[in-house]
Amino acid sequence: MATPSDRSPLRRRSLFKVAGLGAAGAAGLPLVAACGEIESGSGTSQATEGFDFLPTYKEWPLPVEPDLVGEPPNHPSGFTTYPEPVPAIEALPSNSGTFEITVPMWGEAPSQDDPYFAAVAEACGGTTVNLRQADGVTFAETSVQWLNANEFGDGIMLFSWMLFAHPNFQETVVNSFYDLTDIVKGDISERWPLLAGLPTASWGQSVWSTDPNDPETARVFGIPGSFSGGPGNAMFARTDLLEAAGQAMPTTVEELLEVARAVSDDANGRWAFAGTDYLTPQWFGLASGDGWAYIDGKLVHNCERPEYTEWLEFRRTLWDEKLVHPDTPTGTLDGQALHKAGTIVFQLDGISWWQGFIDQTTAEGTGGTIAPLGALSANGREPLVHVNTGVDSWTFLNKDLSQEQVEEFLDFANFCSAPYGTTEYEILNYGVEGTHFTYGPDGTPVFNETGTAVVQAPVNYKTMSGHVQQFLTGTPEMVQARFEYNASVKDFAEANIFEGMRVEGPADFKSAGQVLIDQQNDIAFGRADLSSIPEMVETWKANGGETGREHYTAAYEKLHG
Amino acid sequence: MAALQTSAPPAPSRRQARPRGRNKRTLAQRLRHDWPLLLLTLPALAQLAVFFYWPSAWNIIAFMDYSPHRPFWENPFVGFAWFERLFANPYFLPALLNTLKYAFANLLFLFPLSIVLALVMHSVVSTKVRSLFQSVVYLPYFFSWVLVVTVFVQTLGSDGLVSNWLLDFGGERLTFTSNPDSFLFLAWLQWAWKDAGWGMIIFLAALASINPSLYEAAAVDGASRWRRMWHITLPGIRPVIVLLLILHIGGILNVGFEQYQLQRNAVGYQTTEVLDTFVYYRSVIGTEGPSFGTAAGLFKGVIGLILVLVANNVAHRLGEQGIYQKS
Repeated sequence: MATPSDRSPLRRRSLFKVAGLGAAGAAGLPLVAACGEIESGSGTSQATEGFDFLPTYKEWPLPVEPDLVGEPPNHPSGFTTYPEPVPAIEALPSNSGTFEITVPMWGEAPSQDDPYFAAVAEACGGTTVNLRQADGVTFAETSVQWLNANEFGDGIMLFSWMLFAHPNFQETVVNSFYDLTDIVKGDISERWPLLAGLPTASWGQSVWSTDPNDPETARVFGIPGSFSGGPGNAMFARTDLLEAAGQAMPTTVEELLEVARAVSDDANGRWAFAGTDYLTPQWFGLASGDGWAYIDGKLVHNCERPEYTEWLEFRRTLWDEKLVHPDTPTGTLDGQALHKAGTIVFQLDGISWWQGFIDQTTAEGTGGTIAPLGALSANGREPLVHVNTGVDSWTFLNKDLSQEQVEEFLDFANFCSAPYGTTEYEILNYGVEGTHFTYGPDGTPVFNETGTAVVQAPVNYKTMSGHVQQFLTGTPEMVQARFEYNASVKDFAEANIFEGMRVEGPADFKSAGQVLIDQQNDIAFGRADLSSIPEMVETWKANGGETGREHYTAAYEKLHG
Repeated sequence: MAALQTSAPPAPSRRQARPRGRNKRTLAQRLRHDWPLLLLTLPALAQLAVFFYWPSAWNIIAFMDYSPHRPFWENPFVGFAWFERLFANPYFLPALLNTLKYAFANLLFLFPLSIVLALVMHSVVSTKVRSLFQSVVYLPYFFSWVLVVTVFVQTLGSDGLVSNWLLDFGGERLTFTSNPDSFLFLAWLQWAWKDAGWGMIIFLAALASINPSLYEAAAVDGASRWRRMWHITLPGIRPVIVLLLILHIGGILNVGFEQYQLQRNAVGYQTTEVLDTFVYYRSVIGTEGPSFGTAAGLFKGVIGLILVLVANNVAHRLGEQGIYQKS
């Protein structure tokens, strides 16, 4: 055999290389051939009631009864006066541990050197909880990566709506967080009386199964936040501007459209609306959450209903008639600032904007009054109001903590659960007298500048654990107004068809839902025609909608038989 | 007649015997000789190893049903299942086509602009004017995309400065910051403002390396300004143009992320969905998981590598140096 020349591609060394690569490839082929299927992201359904391992509920007697007695949870009671606070915890624990808890923060994070943090540490019995405050706007999405990397300190606080951002939260929970079951099971009222006073439903909603197919593996993984009901969002109208324009508060969607036309003036820079994407579906009877309603013996998604087209027609009309701020599609508008300035008359926001508007305009001296629109509906339908249906949030602890550390943190959580009318609530929610607030003429704490910047931050210790009972609090006028508002809409509250179960949709369903939202915006902002809706819906069905229906139907049947 | 040589000629010294160019030293000798230089490369090697090669090794999860919650070796191999899923995704092809559209637009309209800017700069005689022009043109490169997009919305948006001027004069609001049909033009304006200056700097460096005596000689021979640019300047920077062109082609699927993500709400996902945003929305914050995103990244990498090799090969065949000197 002739020796390969230097120019030949088959030199000895090359031959060895080719042979080596070939062998490696051949060895790899069975590996590739023996591949399994992709299994992740098939969705879960988790029962949230009927467990025998939850903390035994023991009512924690309120030190003072509320002035306005409602019908919780959708019509909570309220305080129009500030009661003399009394201590909730008689024997303070003696702790010295330090924890790092990751929490969302909207706005500027206050310095951890502020006396507020040291005062809370002293008041709770010596536990120092350092807050890792991360941007609330992106918190839901980025928390997915922190949890995957186990980079969230000793714990993390997640609001319930943030769970939608997690592709497979059940898997995350059971692999990342401390299983609290053995610590909180049974009667915990001696050491943690306030945690024992949390509603059983709150603890039930803090349960995930280590094996989603086996109900026997259910365990408690989170410290529940407050169990609040009633509307979480509202469309707020600038009532002073409506009055100046000779317009009354609209009571139907048709009236709202007329008012919007009357108050909008595109050429002079005033519009009725900025955002109209969430909450507005309820005006057309569409479902909240994942968008399923049980109609005529089966689960039907919002996008499959004729009301969906009506809703998108409404949004498109607002856009075409220049009733929406023209930069709304950019997603960069500061709606609250525009609302305060009167550039937009209606602001879609969380219910807390009611008090926020008053606080901010009072501090800035800009004036103005707002009120939420009532239970609206279109075409003479019975109104529907989306309401909160469970715990607002959870604090999850890192699985790497020791039992002693977890117990110490539960001491702290017990402290945070003290309700309105207690000294614990006062220091958590108002800070230190003289440093963060002073008592006003009617005895109500009034924040000073430091208090506004540090304690009034939307998330800190005060949201780390649920209160034994949630009340309407604030200025007497606001409490009265919110109490009456809740009373006026409570009868239209949407029934939760998955009551007693937490259903997490399959990955494909979630993915198709994201595309649907993008397509909705295309129609609402004039980038696509209303005639594209049927095609949108077919695409949605084919790419995850039907898979989602199967999953949710199975969950529904498990619940209702 | 020369006497017959009966004895062997004296053996040449080892040094003399070695033919030129084959003066090879052993590895040990070379290490002994070059160790200070090798030491200098260590930080760069470490940086590459930590931030490039080690993360690159994790591309293997594109072939696994990977979950960060189980030990690495317990993740099952799924072969090309994620790639199948990627190619079957109805939004992948539109994202790929958008990526190619913006990449080619960038290549066609921005790349020559940088060259033109560099030539204009090169022809400016006044040092003061040149340095002012240079600063003004390339400073936006250091602005973040958030700032660039905000500036455009604030000035050219529907409620921006120009729109409000137009309204004052009885005109209509501008809509092209939220119009999908004009997004390519908007994107080009943003590239031109942000990136053209940076490209210019690189070409300016190449222009500085041209021997000025060539221009003087050409001028003496009566060559016009245009002829000098055509026959001296452009050939002088041709290797750099080719090098950058090849690198651009290699990175053709890397059109960036922020510019498109930030304007997604304004003009819609169908216009702004490129491969990077596709991965972000499906994998990073979506529900497809890390394996899916890695498969998409690997696809981009393989296409980029093929394009670089092809473009480099073509450059060599055309007699250019390409990204490396062909030995």
